[in-house]
Amino acid sequence: MQTFKVSLFIGLIISTVACSEVPARQRGNLALPQMALTPDAQESALRQHTFLSKEAASGGYGGTGGGCGCN
Amino acid sequence: MSKRKNTKLINRLTCAALALPGLMHEASAARVEETYDVDVQYGHYEESGQRIKVNTFESAFTIPIGNAMTSMFNFVHDAVSGASPIYNSRDAQGKVTQVMSGASIKEERNMIDANIAYFLDQSTLKAGGGYSTEHDYKSKYLNASWSQDFNKKHTTLNLSGSVAFDDIEPTNFNSDCGNKCTKTTEQVLAGVTQVLNKDALLQTNLTFSNSSGYLSDPYKRVIFYDANNVLTTIASDKRPRDRRQWAGLVRYVQHVEDANRAALHADYRFTTDNWGINSHTVDLSWHQPLGEGWEIVPRIRYYTQGKADFYEPTFTGTPTNTPNYSSDYRLAGFGVVSGGLKLTKTLSSSKPLQYLKLNAGIEYFDHKSRYELGGNDSGSFADFKYYLFTASVNLKF
Repeated sequence: MQTFKVSLFIGLIISTVACSEVPARQRGNLALPQMALTPDAQESALRQHTFLSKEAASGGYGGTGGGCGCN
Repeated sequence: MSKRKNTKLINRLTCAALALPGLMHEASAARVEETYDVDVQYGHYEESGQRIKVNTFESAFTIPIGNAMTSMFNFVHDAVSGASPIYNSRDAQGKVTQVMSGASIKEERNMIDANIAYFLDQSTLKAGGGYSTEHDYKSKYLNASWSQDFNKKHTTLNLSGSVAFDDIEPTNFNSDCGNKCTKTTEQVLAGVTQVLNKDALLQTNLTFSNSSGYLSDPYKRVIFYDANNVLTTIASDKRPRDRRQWAGLVRYVQHVEDANRAALHADYRFTTDNWGINSHTVDLSWHQPLGEGWEIVPRIRYYTQGKADFYEPTFTGTPTNTPNYSSDYRLAGFGVVSGGLKLTKTLSSSKPLQYLKLNAGIEYFDHKSRYELGGNDSGSFADFKYYLFTASVNLKF
């Protein structure tokens, strides 16, 4: 558990430094709709809500709305 | 490039770089909406056999307020029907069988949530809340998030928190809390979104969630046998009254110029909790533009979890000598392998309708105990399959 937290913290730090500078005029590819972290938010929310109902794990992506999902 | 185009590019870039997950809904990730958006989705979920089917309808409306704010309203209606597992029994030879409820479940859920977002030059503040109601379950929740750009907008720090208050009113009396039970969940998220280079993004999130109160399932039962394999007690599902779960998520997005500007999305998530459940999830998708506004998205996912400390298919002993016990298949060790395909068509036009996007996708899931990472020899009694079909329309005015 402790190892997991430490690894994640290190990951966070690395992710902020291990990259090259990209001027704004070169960021066109990053702005493409298929490059959005969540290209289809509604579909993503429905999938995460489904997984919450059928699997014990949750989190990471943020919340999935309310409700039981008991069945 | 003109100044106007430059501004537009930076706005769109900010959208990509800031795309943080809000705790409630990811629909309006940090961006200034200058259009009125209407997003409507239909979903159909169906399990194999005579098990659960869900039809879900969702409509979301995003409305700009001045130049720096947007509000979003979201409505969801679910209609659930079918049979659900209640408990497991075992015969004299030790073979376990899952016992279903019969196709008697009929349930409806309605949910409304809303949020308001305020955009500053290098940061975004968002606050929202929602209410979900079923005849035996009500949930109220609030959330807030803050994202801050720095490092010339290469890096975005995302912080958010939410709290949910749930009231459970089981239609059958439950020995834990009668027919009026409550639970509270708090969740916090800290994350960083990083532009790695002109073709790649990385997001790292850590969430911690704390739930307390009635965390059992009032409709699940547990069978206790004595040492001679004689059934002695049918008890209600009983779980600890607190749960603390950590989740770490890494999301990587890579642009592939040579494949007609396709994008690879690769997610990995690890979770662990104080119930003894560890899980791993790998989710990969390939977003392939086909030209003329068409796009195809194949997807594969693998999920695996270990069992909870207090899970057994059936129990030997007595409830009084067992602090917590559950035979809920969702707390067992298992794995899920899935694959899906989605097709989208984007149409751009002039005012008043500036943008129209049509989406249709299907994803097929195979849930098996033997797919658990490291193996699982508990048998196939809880295995099942399901699929999720979605169709949606996105409009911008």
